[in-house]
Amino acid sequence: MNARRPHPLLLLPAILAVLGVLLPLVYLALRALGAESSELREIVFRTRNLELLANTLLLTLGVLGGTTLIALPLAYLAARTTLRPRRLLTLLGVLPLAIPGYVGAYALIAASGAGGTIDALTGIRWPGPGGYWGALGVLTLFTFPYLFLNLHAALRTQDPALEDAARLLGRTPWQTFREVTLPYLRPAWLSGALLIALHVLGDFSVVSLMRYPTFSAAIYQQYTAAYDRVYSAWLALALLLVTGAALLLEARLMRGVRLSRVSPGGTRPPRTVPLGRAAPLAWVFLAVLAGAALVVPLGTIVYWLRLETNPFAWSALLEAFQGALGAAAVAAVTTTALAFPLAYIGSRHSGPLARLTERAAYLGYATPPLAFALALVFFTLRVAPPLYQTFTLLIAAYTLHFLAEAVGPVRTSLLTATPRLEEAGRLLGLSAPQTLRRVTLPLVRPGLLVSAAFVFLSVLKELPLTLLLSPIGFETLSRNVWSYTEEAQYASAAPYALALAVSGALLTLLILRREDRRVPRPPPSSPPAASQPAASPPATPSTPKDDPA
Amino acid sequence: MKRTLLAVTALLLAGTSLAQTKTLTVYSGRAKTFVDPVVQQFERQTGIKVNVRYGTDAQLVAALREEGSKSPADVYWGNSVGALGELAEEGKFTKLGTALTRNVSSDYLPDDRTWLPTTVRFRTLAYNTGKIKPEQLPDSILDLPKMTSLKGRIGWTVSYPSFQDFLAAMISKYGEATTRQWIEGMKALQPKDYKTSNVGMLEAMRAGEIDVALTNHYYIQRVNRLSYPIDTYFFKNGDIGNLGNATGAAILKTSKNTASAARFLSALVAKDAQTFFLSVNFEYPVIGNILQPTTMLPYSDVSKRSPRIDPTVLPKNIDKAQKLLRDAGLL
Repeated sequence: MNARRPHPLLLLPAILAVLGVLLPLVYLALRALGAESSELREIVFRTRNLELLANTLLLTLGVLGGTTLIALPLAYLAARTTLRPRRLLTLLGVLPLAIPGYVGAYALIAASGAGGTIDALTGIRWPGPGGYWGALGVLTLFTFPYLFLNLHAALRTQDPALEDAARLLGRTPWQTFREVTLPYLRPAWLSGALLIALHVLGDFSVVSLMRYPTFSAAIYQQYTAAYDRVYSAWLALALLLVTGAALLLEARLMRGVRLSRVSPGGTRPPRTVPLGRAAPLAWVFLAVLAGAALVVPLGTIVYWLRLETNPFAWSALLEAFQGALGAAAVAAVTTTALAFPLAYIGSRHSGPLARLTERAAYLGYATPPLAFALALVFFTLRVAPPLYQTFTLLIAAYTLHFLAEAVGPVRTSLLTATPRLEEAGRLLGLSAPQTLRRVTLPLVRPGLLVSAAFVFLSVLKELPLTLLLSPIGFETLSRNVWSYTEEAQYASAAPYALALAVSGALLTLLILRREDRRVPRPPPSSPPAASQPAASPPATPSTPKDDPA
Repeated sequence: MKRTLLAVTALLLAGTSLAQTKTLTVYSGRAKTFVDPVVQQFERQTGIKVNVRYGTDAQLVAALREEGSKSPADVYWGNSVGALGELAEEGKFTKLGTALTRNVSSDYLPDDRTWLPTTVRFRTLAYNTGKIKPEQLPDSILDLPKMTSLKGRIGWTVSYPSFQDFLAAMISKYGEATTRQWIEGMKALQPKDYKTSNVGMLEAMRAGEIDVALTNHYYIQRVNRLSYPIDTYFFKNGDIGNLGNATGAAILKTSKNTASAARFLSALVAKDAQTFFLSVNFEYPVIGNILQPTTMLPYSDVSKRSPRIDPTVLPKNIDKAQKLLRDAGLL
């Protein structure tokens, strides 16, 4: 590990990432403070703010509970039981990620009520989802994969010796699970939980469609219904405070977690347990989950697709597809390019500066996209008017927001690529740039591709940044799904929803295939230094956590 | 990946070449489905490329305020008198010449000729014919809060510009106290808020979620075409619940394409566009008699039901209406 300070040039991306997020937020604050003091007092102490806060927190806690109830049993079934086929379980745990929340909300709304899909096919008048339970259901079904990926990776890599020791000391299987396995899962759960909390806090589309008022829903309502933007700016600041509190809470809870082995030894894959009489119950659980998260949404989309009668729908779809793919491709390249130096510093250097540099990527990810988009509007109008409503600004927003997702896979690749090969290259006379191009980049190419795929998928699905920052006339899949769904034009929304779901599914499968090729490497036989607690959430939940030494 | 990059670059360059032709930037508070065919027709006839930014009236008013002199907009096409009036009062529009205004009905044309009405619509109450008889409904919208049997069964759209104009008109006619009372009374009936989506609201009525809805007349006309069990209820003549409102278009002072903008406005009040607005959107024209669908009341009939509210009072009261909604925790 190179303890020298990173080259100043390598620090530039981190500085860009931090300034790119903080500067607009400063202008957001300036805009919020720009109102008259009496108006400010009225806005800040409005009782509705407390209601929004309570609603937001209740929903976040509810979704965390719901996702845990789904992800933990599913991860256990996939990693620790004899249930087959295992690959199918993993697919079920990941594929809902392909469906954006607003598409899920669209599908559940269009499936319900008189005239909905369920009514048309079965005659059953399924009550329309709405309010807290509708928002909770949709957000749970389409964010639980973040938790599943973390828990699944942890369960697959846990050293069974601890569980064996507990059993030898007389603990029952249930006691062993509760006292050994669950504590071991805590860091994985915390990381996944933070991602889900950020998604729920930042979501405005599902809560708006479900008519459940949260901070994000209120920001969007102000944006669409109020003639000035002071209150929306204040609500955005409030949302930032809540998000910041969530980040601090996760960091505090993660601080005391240290997992390490006390002695070297061979590692074995964890044992699998036969389900026995519990198998039928497991299959019912899987069937219900697959039905709710995949079959009903996709079935509804296909149903309404058949009702689309607009002859121009398909050419409009093609235009939106091109717009979405174009933006996603450019953003994937820029984000991965920016992520590489950050990941390089994190993996090749140590010390506070390296940690701070790497953490810079998470600033954009943690910022709620609606607040970030509003901030960028205020910022560009005042500081950089030529950037306003341009493709460049949209790409910059995507890059800053999704940078954290790109850092994870690149860093994992860099950690796998031993620095010794780079040192050998230098010894053989290659310059630093040559070593980078001929040794390091080929080694990390798989990680770069996974990063690009992640960002591509995320940009394809992204809605608030797209809605607020798109150039005039710029059509995307997400924007069309949203506007048609908001207007209850379910048939018109169906082609775009299907295109999004299929694109997401293909990319998700690609990511899974690449992850499968990464065989866990046995740790070196000599005892390494005790692992430090993870200080920040992993950018990509699907990346297996490093095996605790 | 390299080939993808090249393809993307080619796409972007192709997009750039469009900037060489004449272009017009329109901010439209009207939804795309209601106006896009007219825009397409204009592009075909004139060769002028029209870039439309779609959003709600409030969203675009706020955007134009934030953008100030840097705004890229040439034309503002508003969904309500209130929004157009706000911007006009702030001096953002140029005065229109008589060539544009002479054929347009004076009912909604502002005295200072800063914007051109393009269609007229009326507030109504939609009701589910399978569940509600019109005789059960009150003569005045002011009495709607008394209908406790409709608790949880009413839909409204507090974010929608026409609804806010309606509140502004109520403030103008009856005062803030009465309007606040009405809002609180309605709130007690636990209405379902469909934000800006009247289509969503009527779909919800079809799905059985609600039985009555405060909406604009043409949304009911459109779903009648689909054989939904929904019909139109007008309150007594002159009631505020029947308020007439107009869409309109204006040219921004900051526009550098005023000639193209004037052509666009002229096209909006030409017979082709007006016929489209009437026959497809079911909105009333502003250029006098055009053959109307038989399901719609003649303009002269429906305009009698509407109270006479001077269009200039709506913008003065929009802010008050929004404040009342905020105080009630609805906005």
